[in-house]
Amino acid sequence: MIRFTFKRLMLMVLMLLGLLAITFTISHIVPADPAALAAGPDANVEMIERYRVEYGLDRPLAEQFLVYLGKLLSGDWGKSIHTTRPVWDDLVTYFPNTVELVVFSIAIAVLFGIPLGIVAAVNQNRPIDHVIRVLTVTGVAMPMFWLGLMAQLFFALKLGWFPLGGRIEMMTDPPQAITHLLLVDALLNGHFGTFVDALHHMVLPAVALCFPALASIIRVNRAEMLETLKQDYIVNARAQGLSTFRIVAVYALRNAMLPTMAMIGLRFGWMLGGTVLIETVFDWPGIGLYAVQAAISSDFEPIMGATIVLGFFFMLTNLLIDMIYGTLDPRVREQV
Amino acid sequence: MRTEYDGKQGVLMRKLFKLTLVAGVAAAVLATVSPAVDAFERRNGQKIMVMAQRQAVPIMDPSIKYDASIRTMQQAMYDGLMKYTGTPPTVTPWLAERFEASDDGLTYTFYLVKNAKFHNGDPVTAEAVRWSFARTLKLGKGPAWMLNAFLKAENIKAVDDHTVSFTLDRSFAPFTSFLPWWYIMNPAQVMANEVDGDMGQKWLIDHEAGSGPYKLRRVEQGTLYELERVQDYWKGHKGPLGGIIYKLIRESSAQRAALMKGEADISTGLSPDEFDQLAKIKGMVTSTEPALTAFGIKFNTQGKYTSDKNLRKAVAYAFDYDALVKIYNGRAVLQTSPFTDSIKGKVNVPNMPRQDLAKAKEYLAKSQWPTGGIELEYVYVQGLEEERLMGLVLIDNLKDLNITVKMVPLTWANMVARGSKKETSPDMIAIFATPVSTDPDAVAIQYHPSSHGAYYGVHFYDNPEVTKLIEEARFTGEWEKRAPLYAKIQQMITDDQPEIFGMMRERRIVYRDWVKGFEYSPVRMTEEVDLYPMYIE
Repeated sequence: MIRFTFKRLMLMVLMLLGLLAITFTISHIVPADPAALAAGPDANVEMIERYRVEYGLDRPLAEQFLVYLGKLLSGDWGKSIHTTRPVWDDLVTYFPNTVELVVFSIAIAVLFGIPLGIVAAVNQNRPIDHVIRVLTVTGVAMPMFWLGLMAQLFFALKLGWFPLGGRIEMMTDPPQAITHLLLVDALLNGHFGTFVDALHHMVLPAVALCFPALASIIRVNRAEMLETLKQDYIVNARAQGLSTFRIVAVYALRNAMLPTMAMIGLRFGWMLGGTVLIETVFDWPGIGLYAVQAAISSDFEPIMGATIVLGFFFMLTNLLIDMIYGTLDPRVREQV
Repeated sequence: MRTEYDGKQGVLMRKLFKLTLVAGVAAAVLATVSPAVDAFERRNGQKIMVMAQRQAVPIMDPSIKYDASIRTMQQAMYDGLMKYTGTPPTVTPWLAERFEASDDGLTYTFYLVKNAKFHNGDPVTAEAVRWSFARTLKLGKGPAWMLNAFLKAENIKAVDDHTVSFTLDRSFAPFTSFLPWWYIMNPAQVMANEVDGDMGQKWLIDHEAGSGPYKLRRVEQGTLYELERVQDYWKGHKGPLGGIIYKLIRESSAQRAALMKGEADISTGLSPDEFDQLAKIKGMVTSTEPALTAFGIKFNTQGKYTSDKNLRKAVAYAFDYDALVKIYNGRAVLQTSPFTDSIKGKVNVPNMPRQDLAKAKEYLAKSQWPTGGIELEYVYVQGLEEERLMGLVLIDNLKDLNITVKMVPLTWANMVARGSKKETSPDMIAIFATPVSTDPDAVAIQYHPSSHGAYYGVHFYDNPEVTKLIEEARFTGEWEKRAPLYAKIQQMITDDQPEIFGMMRERRIVYRDWVKGFEYSPVRMTEEVDLYPMYIE
């Protein structure tokens, strides 16, 4: 397992380099002039040139890439030409917000998705199965932003149960940043009111965000459970008089969980980079919004910074899933 | 028939549903702890006004950048020598209680008020004014373009503690019209935070060193910015308020919901439909006045097809101008000149094109493409629904001339890049342009070759006679001599038709009826608000 992990980590470095090169090339061949945009709409030629020189945009593309890599290796993530803020400061501000949202969202999807998948499988073709299947189709088909807007209008505006958006109540000063994860920092600082408030703000965006993942988890889990429940060892367990709960929860679920785990891992990775719509609707200060703003204004170094972080965590999630696979299935462990 | 297996399933289902229910109940518990929403927020017993805004304020430094959101904050934290107020906008004395201009128009002497203080208590002096202008000129960013062709840092002198003089390289009539956008910083505070000779640039990203009516209390990038009122502001206040929260709410529907729920007190970024819905609700006050911003569909006057003036005229006469107004639910006024209404010296140009198909066909017949049969490209900002609808209007209108229109949505960055060269600038491009001052030069210069490549110069319009008039007018001191020049400029530009002169969109601002003191001025950009006079009753 150690060798396997080491190999995968080495591969990750190569993949990140490739990702960087591709992103750098694509973002630089787009016909936009970041220096002109940063200088402002009324800037004259000299002012635009000043930006171009200051940010090294006057150099050949390959040289710019090498300079960027060199800076990155020395721990300098560059700065935004648009805001002049250091990219690292921005990533530390925005990425933890996305992580918290996605973790909470995937937790909801898992908490509801796995039980519902089991219920649907155990009750195949019965009314409850049909209801759950309708839910899954809806979850896959419904645009996330629309769901978010509807949830916002109904639960926040009409019923007043949840806030319209934001990370915490606006009059609350955030706790001192220790981990930059607001929920964790609130607890570490002993601000329990802020913790509850932050959790409260997270419910609507997390629920809206989790729907596609929830639907996928239910579908995969249901299909795998159906397959597993037909296996001889399950028939044998039933013949031995084991309780249905024990058969399903202990024997069937363990095997059915392998593809479900893969789905959870993939969804987690996608959600990390795909939260922009929900972040826009709920004004969630996350990395999705940050990356899109950077892309719109052709702000290269923030684009690269966001790509590295998202790419790294996507790959890391996949690695962790593979390792969990090995833990759940001894055959995989032996192959490794 | 119910079997034993079914019964066991029932137990299983009950257990699973219990798990599901636990999660559901947890969500419901969280819902019940929802904080009660007051009519307005308070801090330390004082009312706080909440602005719902779409655009972030990534940088506060007055020397580095300005746009609608940045300037809203800069105006609240800093003072300038002069300030734009009212409708029509006038440049009124602010930190300078008065000024004098020499007869040759080269030297301006400003006399400062004596009671102005920076937020740390330091007095606002002539030296601070000199240093602030010199810093902006030296860094060469933000508003530097307005004056750097006529003013050198060494020609700004602090005559005494409260007198400062500016000597221009040559007479420049619009000089004072730019001054409201040059803010005065506290040199001692800024330089105390200098890093590696950056003149405090890093520090001023999210700090301030001003003398304005508000000071910066909190910055949460991407979420909100909080201002605390300077209660002993040297110019006083018009009504009670403890502070202002500039809250980012990016979706128009969410802004509407925030206003309805009382989570926001004022919004400036609503879509026409959301605005109209809110306008009908009791307790909402609306402001709809024409802005200085002009919307036009600019032709590339050096492009393959649109270099032909008769073709441009044909398109301008085929266009349905009323549709423009309808797209904005009637909240727009058609332009009657290349200059918008609040620009000094604006005249109503006779024979401004309006839809007239017979005339359009007449002009087309005189063009190089008398029977049409060509395709024109229309580029607009991706995601701007109003501009997309204008493109559909063009498609419909030009069908009668046998001209097809290809609609190309681009991000603003890509659109600006395409318009920066005459070889790549599209045949037609949808542009909103807001001049930075009310001086006619601010609009006229958009039709000068020095503007080629800028977003408002994507027409690459070049009429040497107009260019000469623009230059003559900007360096002429007396208004009596300038006015006729600008009247002629407006007529000549209209005749050359470098664009379809469109409309002045009304600003859509909504606020709760407890918000008082709102003062509109068309010189401000879309979504820019002067926070100084506002308070909550």
